[in-house]
Parts: sequence; structure tokens; C-alpha cells
Amino acid sequence: MPSKMKAGKDLLIFAGKFMYSFWDTLFHYIVPRPKKNVAGEIVLITGSGSGIGRLLALRFAHLGAILVLWDINPEGNQETCELAKKAGTSRVYTYTCNCSDREDIYRVAAQVKKEVGDVTILINNAGVVTGKQFLEIPDECVEKSFDVNSKAHIWTYKAFLPAMITNNHGHLVCISSSAGLIGVSKLSDYCASKFAAIGFAESIFSELYAQGYTGIKSTIVCPFFIKTGMFEGCTTENPLLLPILEPDYVVNKIMNAILEEQVYLFMPRFLYFVLFLKSFLPTKVALVLCEYLKIFEVMNCFTGRVKKD
Amino acid sequence: NSRNLSTEEISIFWGKFLDYFVESVIFHIIPKPNKKAAGEIMLTTGAGSGLGRLLALKFVHFGAIVVLWDINQESLDETCRLAKEYGFSRVHAYICDCSKRHEICKVAEQVKKEVGDVTILINNARVLTGKLFLETSDDYVEKSFLVNTFPHIWTYKAFFPAMIAFNHGHLVCISSAAGLIGLNGLGDYCASKFASFGFAESIYFELRKLKKHGIQTTIVCPYFIKTGMFEGCSTKYPDVLPLLKPELVANKIVSAILEDQVYLITPKMAYIAPWLPVKKITTIFCLAGPKKNVGKTG
Repeated sequence: MPSKMKAGKDLLIFAGKFMYSFWDTLFHYIVPRPKKNVAGEIVLITGSGSGIGRLLALRFAHLGAILVLWDINPEGNQETCELAKKAGTSRVYTYTCNCSDREDIYRVAAQVKKEVGDVTILINNAGVVTGKQFLEIPDECVEKSFDVNSKAHIWTYKAFLPAMITNNHGHLVCISSSAGLIGVSKLSDYCASKFAAIGFAESIFSELYAQGYTGIKSTIVCPFFIKTGMFEGCTTENPLLLPILEPDYVVNKIMNAILEEQVYLFMPRFLYFVLFLKSFLPTKVALVLCEYLKIFEVMNCFTGRVKKD
Repeated sequence: NSRNLSTEEISIFWGKFLDYFVESVIFHIIPKPNKKAAGEIMLTTGAGSGLGRLLALKFVHFGAIVVLWDINQESLDETCRLAKEYGFSRVHAYICDCSKRHEICKVAEQVKKEVGDVTILINNARVLTGKLFLETSDDYVEKSFLVNTFPHIWTYKAFFPAMIAFNHGHLVCISSAAGLIGLNGLGDYCASKFASFGFAESIYFELRKLKKHGIQTTIVCPYFIKTGMFEGCSTKYPDVLPLLKPELVANKIVSAILEDQVYLITPKMAYIAPWLPVKKITTIFCLAGPKKNVGKTG
């Protein structure tokens, strides 16, 4: 009897929590959540030398955060630094860091902890893409994809999570991709690494919650292709449902998600529906839909970033 | 860049949509015809124990030529012995440390020379640490990827060309429910299992684009199975999400392979796991994670 009563009690508690969460979510669909104040927070952004990383840095600069910028490219990073200072923050620290190298990450992290302090908002944004048919991808590129897109997240968490746990304060942001939700032809290594990033971030979110660290937030971002040059050449046949996204739109949404402490952010909204369909539609039916929406054609003309010599 | 939707395109779409929908409903009632596995060359990694052994034995029973890979000599010998008891002599065993790329390449070449082109490739070998994230050493994290994710990629590289040349084959990825939803206490494991799922799915779509319809894919996501790997685990609600019996899972996987099923998620209720509201509920309320984690290599 006691075990049945315990199960019954558990169920009641669960039902109560469920109803509360449900109504809370519904309410905040209409009334936007209050945005938190990030002035004085130490924000670390990897891949800050260009694209979304740079735009995020400028937004945080505007909000008065202390910026720690990591990129493998010192010139790009320096440019972001100058722009950030113009945007209104005086405390910007730049570091050249190769995110595919674990030792380098740990070395620079130790420097940051000494020179700046404990990072409170960690944004793993650095990413690489190969964009070739599977058999044409060199083994080194496969390994690099994982090193930068997945393992870098793990090593940075290892470096900065302990302090967040001690203070029960922090925010972990994982910039993954829509290719981390559904496989894409010609992106096998990229997809694998982006799937891994989501799985890891989600697992840590669950672990922190289970351990009671409610002061540490997580945000997992999955955008479709963005016009930053990284996916140059990609096309979409459905600009209404799956547009190639404008960087400003993406950054606005990411900032909102972070400031409102949203856990998942998919862009465009159609991706929420895609994930829903994927979970129950019979495979053949789902494929017919994908073929009709020409989703398999997106990587046809991919060229990627054209390297300047 | 807008498309002109011709009536032809729309009617083809709806025609196919309804056709496949009805087909799937019918095949839920009457079982799909099984394809023949006799004479196929089936390779399974992690054949020494648990699921790998059961799958190997099932395929031996169907008359397939079975290639067994495992890192452990004794378990491999045991599987071999059990397989030969069926009376079929075409069982080939190789020691292979799947965490080493060069070893995979070397043993793959041996297989191609001594046995032939693998037509059914089952990536099953895995390792689990099951510790809290900050207690998991960096080496263990690397090992999770090296055993759970990268062997899928290197074995595909080794055996894919022949499958493409003959437009015939079957790629089976044994992922996990931990590859669909991030679970408490399994950070590195989830990352590696998500990756193997994403990789297998990507290749599936790539094959469809290349119109190589002779190469099938099956991605398996079982919830925790009662093999030595999850020794010490129990779940919070054993009636709703029980630890699965290995024979049951092995049977389902074999059926899925022979019926050319693409996704296999067991138990059935876990199909809704990737849906966002369900994910939020299970991660927040930690309903799905195992209670105690004591891992070992599988």
C-alpha cells in the first residue's frame, strides 16, 4: 500500500507542476516575459570575429555587459572589439583561441578567469561547415567538425560551469542549427556535430535542473541557414516557410530568448511544426512532404565562405 | 524566388501523400513482407555481448554470412561458438578496437578480402560512463565520441563505396533514446548518440537524393535495455518506461531491418519524445532518466 500511495502522491505533484507550467507558458505566449538585466555580466562569445558572433557582441555591448571575445582570427576579432567599444562598452577583452584544440581552450579559459573573472553568460557560437557529399569529405574535416561544433561546447562548459555552479548563477547558450534537428544531404558531418551539441546542451540542462541549480539557465538555438556567408550558395524554394534568414532577425530573436530565459529557440517558426511532424508522420509520407517542399535541394549550390588570400 | 505551384505538382503531391498514408495504416495491421537475408554479408560491431550477440545469432539463423567485430576476444569467441552451434560455418570473427580509425580501416580491408562486400552494416558497439558531467574525465568524453559516433563514420567510409556501386545494402545505426532526448547524468553519451542519429539520418537523405533506392537505412532508438551496460539502473516509473528485455529489442530490430523500416523507437510511446513540449516535460521533471548509473562498455 505505501508504495502505491507514494506513486499516487508523485502523480499528484507531477500533475500540479504540469498544470502550473502549462498555464505559465500559455500566459507568457501573450504577455512577454520580463527581460533580465545583463549589465555587468561577463559574456563570452566564441566565433565573435564575424557573423552572428559579432552581432551578438554588439548587442551585449549596448546592454552594458563585459565582453570576452574568442575567435581564431585576430583581425576579425579586433574589428568586433572596436565596434563594440563604439557601441558603448568599455570593457572588451579579445583572445585568439583555436576552438578545435582542447588545450588551447583550457589555456585561454584560465587566462580569462585571471584577467576578467568568472564568465556568467557563455555563448558557444563558433562553427565550421564542410558541405560535401559524404565520401568526398576528408577524414580531417570530419574530425574538425566535431572538434569545433561539439567538443568545444563540452570543454568550455568544463572550464566555466564550476564557477556558475558555485554561485548558482549563469546562462549557457548553445548556437546549434536546424541541421541539428533533422539530417540534411551534403551535411552529414555538420549534422552529426550539431545534433551532438543539442544533445549535450539538453543533457546538461536536465542535469542542472535535477541538481537544483535553478540559477543557471540554458538556451538552445536552432536557426535555419543565415545570410552570413557561412552557407553561401544555399537556396530555398519556400521563402515563406523556410527562408534564408537575415542576421539581424536572428540576433534579435536570440537576444530575446536569452534575456527572457527561453530554453528552445527555433527559427523560422515552421521548424517547430517540422519537429512535431517528424515525431509521428510515417516516414514515406514525411518524405513526400520534404520532396514537395524541395527541402532536399537546399545544399545543391552550396559554395560556403570564399576564402580571401 | 517564388515557385509557381502547378496543379500537376499539387495533385502529384496529394496523390503520393494519401497513398503512402493509407499504405502505412495498412501495414500497421498486416505485417509487411520480409526481405531475404540469406547470403547477405552482415557485419556487426560490438558482437561480443548484449544486443550485438543476439543480432548476430538471428542473422545466422536466417542464413546470412556473419562478420563479427569486438574488442574483447573471449566474448567474441563465445558469440562465434553460439553461432556455429546453429550449424552454419560462415561466421567470421575479427578483433577490432572501434575507437581507432586506422584499425577500423585495416580490419575492413581484411573483411573485404577474406569475406566480400558487406551488405548489412550494423553499428552497435558503444560505451557508457554514466557519471555527472563535471565528474566525467576529458578522456571519457573523447572515448564516448570515439566509440559511439566515429566508428559509424569510418565503417560507412569503408563499406559504402561497394554498396553504392551495386546500389544494394542496408545501413543500421543503433542509437538510443538518449539520442532523441538529453538525459540527466548522460551528457557525453547523449551528445555521441545524438550525433550518430544525425549522421545516419543525413546519409539516409543523401542516398535518397542520389536516388540509390537499393540502399536502405534503419535507425534504432531503444530506451534502456537490460544488458550489462545499464547494470544498476532502474527507472522511476517501471510500468510506463520499463527497462527493455534484450531479446525483445533484438527481435524488433531484425523485423525493422527485414521490413526496410527507417526509424525504430521502442517502446512505442517514446516516438513522441522529440516533440518539444514532451521534451520539456521529461527533462524538467526528469521522468525519463535512469535512477542509478553504473556503466561499462557494451
